[in-house]
Amino acid sequence: MSPTTALVKAALNSNFGWTILRHRFLVQRRDLWLIPLILLGVAGVVPVLVLYVRLIGDAFDLLRSIGQEKALLTLAVLAGQLIILIFGLFYLIATFYFSRDLEYLVSLPLKPFQVMLSKFAVVLVNEYLTIAPIILPVLVIYGFKSKGGLEYWISLLLAYVLLPVIPLAASGLVVVGMMRLVNIGRKKDLLIVLGSLVLIAAALFLQFGLSRAAGAQDVDSEKIIALIASPDGLVQSIGRRFPPSIWATRFLHDGLMTGSGLSGLALFASLSVLLFGGLMAGAQRLFYRGLVGLSERSGGSTRRSKARTALKVSSGRHPVRAIFLRELRLMNRTPIFLLNGVLGVLMIPIVFALTLSSSRSTSDSAAILRLMTTAKPVTTVLVTTMFVIVCATVSGVASSSFSREGRQFWISKIIPVDYRQQVLAKFIHCWNVALLGIASATAVLIFRFQLPAGQWLPALALALPVTAFLTVLNLAIDLARPLLDWISPQKAMKQNLNVLIAMLLDVGFLFLFGLLFLALDKAGLGLAGVLIILFGLILGLAWLAFFLIRRLSLRRYPAIEV
Amino acid sequence: MIELDHVSKSYNKGAVRAVDDLSLTVPPGEIFGFLGPNGAGKTTTIKMIVGILEPDAGTIRINGLDSRAEALRCKAMTAYVPDEPEIYTRLKGIEFLNFIGDVYGVAGPERRQRIEHWLEAFELARAVADPIQTYSHGMRQKIILTAALMVKPRVFILDEPMVGLDPRSSHLLKEAMREHCEQGGTLFFSTHIMEVAERLCDRIGIIHKGRLAAWGTMAELRDQAKDKASLENIFLGLTES
Repeated sequence: MSPTTALVKAALNSNFGWTILRHRFLVQRRDLWLIPLILLGVAGVVPVLVLYVRLIGDAFDLLRSIGQEKALLTLAVLAGQLIILIFGLFYLIATFYFSRDLEYLVSLPLKPFQVMLSKFAVVLVNEYLTIAPIILPVLVIYGFKSKGGLEYWISLLLAYVLLPVIPLAASGLVVVGMMRLVNIGRKKDLLIVLGSLVLIAAALFLQFGLSRAAGAQDVDSEKIIALIASPDGLVQSIGRRFPPSIWATRFLHDGLMTGSGLSGLALFASLSVLLFGGLMAGAQRLFYRGLVGLSERSGGSTRRSKARTALKVSSGRHPVRAIFLRELRLMNRTPIFLLNGVLGVLMIPIVFALTLSSSRSTSDSAAILRLMTTAKPVTTVLVTTMFVIVCATVSGVASSSFSREGRQFWISKIIPVDYRQQVLAKFIHCWNVALLGIASATAVLIFRFQLPAGQWLPALALALPVTAFLTVLNLAIDLARPLLDWISPQKAMKQNLNVLIAMLLDVGFLFLFGLLFLALDKAGLGLAGVLIILFGLILGLAWLAFFLIRRLSLRRYPAIEV
Repeated sequence: MIELDHVSKSYNKGAVRAVDDLSLTVPPGEIFGFLGPNGAGKTTTIKMIVGILEPDAGTIRINGLDSRAEALRCKAMTAYVPDEPEIYTRLKGIEFLNFIGDVYGVAGPERRQRIEHWLEAFELARAVADPIQTYSHGMRQKIILTAALMVKPRVFILDEPMVGLDPRSSHLLKEAMREHCEQGGTLFFSTHIMEVAERLCDRIGIIHKGRLAAWGTMAELRDQAKDKASLENIFLGLTES
């Protein structure tokens, strides 16, 4: 086996823990209870998936009626690549520069590009899994609805394999360059966070430009007719600023045996190879220099200058406050946790607002919402409540709370603090992050969509107990099976199975919550009645969940072995 | 006092027996050295005493209290220094010390006085305001020792405490260990350094394949292995198999 293959294999294995999972399930027969839990989570998502599939089917039929169905492919490829471009950035920074095994890998007789390749492979496989539930249904439904033959399915496979390469390699090039630059000076972590924000802003700007370019066409009715009249009108309009999505559409729709399809594939593959080659070449020159900067220790002169600063000795903080402070500091000072957690909940509503603002056709979304508010006030409250809750809980802060402690979990086990108090401190911290998300989402509802208080206040009132309940639920999932042995902080948050399970269960719960909301409304209780009943019910549920997690902590903490 | 009564621990559903029916008592005022080859069960035993691992069988008592039934009270009188200085690297040294002081309820004036004393002794005063991630292995070991000594526990448990320490810090630690026992505290530590065990310990236990192969004072151990004068020879004689 070549060194590169061995390295890639080892990286994938250690990252996705196949060997450990196999050992746990088949040899030790531990964690078997996880299987029904995962199935339950998947079952919770099924209704949402069914709705999504129906939506895609309807969109296909609608677009086919005007001869523009292939625009669906363009949209899917574009959406997948944009998701990877924006969210892949965190993965890349974390995996390229914050993995614990890097110091060891650097000492091995390997070239920088080989180490980078192994890290890139980890991110790539992760992205295949991330975009699968969003992109695959579109491509598969398109295949069935358009009665695509074997050629289509081969094209689909090729498209899916190549899809993340362009955005990941492009982001990777920027990240490698950025890390080389920011690793100068003492405030490396701050620079990494700021650098990442600049990159996100750039990605958003790109998306803003794309949507605007697409949206601008819709204003003029003559242009709309021209758009529909041309078989490629909509495809060109959507993918104009990002041609790879048009190339992918060509080989997916036209087939590999046509000149147009083959050239589309050639262009798509060539750009992928070019960017990937560029990244490897860049890695060979810059990767280790960025790494060396990261592992440098500040000492000497800095420490001497602090020699006479007064010792900040605290006195008698309550243990809950001490643990809360620890959680806060560890989260806010680890760039990957900060970017994924706190900045995530703050930014998602803003990204959403910007996305809607960027398209002129929906620039009147506020007016549309106002119209909905008048026509269907209860539905609007439900939708806005869901929006606020999703924004507040999507970060994975609670479902990785124990996992984030990693190998330092031994400290939590030996300190003389009641496990119930430790869980309380974690709950306060995680719910505070959720509150930030609630504040950010509510601000978007008020300032961007100009919703009246009668709409956002009920959403806010319901979001508070629901997020408290979901925070406890997500904490419980992580407490049941914390992932403590990780080498990259990214693994503790985004590649943590607990985060996925929690997300699935959250979706399932929200689905039930929505059904109950509509059922109560149908029963003729009126908005106030629905709100009062749901508020009381969820508050009771949150209290019960909190009571149960305190009991669970007494059983789980001693059983967790470090 | 530390009492282990028929304590066992295995991994992989009994496939690997790390500690096998171990019983021993360390009375107050005694330094007990725990020796054994790699994988003999030293760290597993220590982790069970401090509550990181749960024994499969047997009981552990700290100053007469059952370590499981009275876990919080046992922890409040115990300080532990692990073999690997895995601590919160994103905290500053002083923040870590304050965290430990807060959770152990060390009062302000004593906390300040002890922190200042041990930071000076370990030459960490200049680094204490820096993030722990900038510390070397030895400095991390010293900040954990400072935290443990600040708590002033009645039972002190150390796993390979000399590893990574410079000679001066190692000497200071040995003095602190002796002083701790002179004041009536109990000290249990594991080491691979035979000279340290020979000079410092009141009693020594040698663990091999999870079982206590020999224990007693240095003189008693010499008696058990008549022709073996040094602890190293006794150790090799007991663990060669």
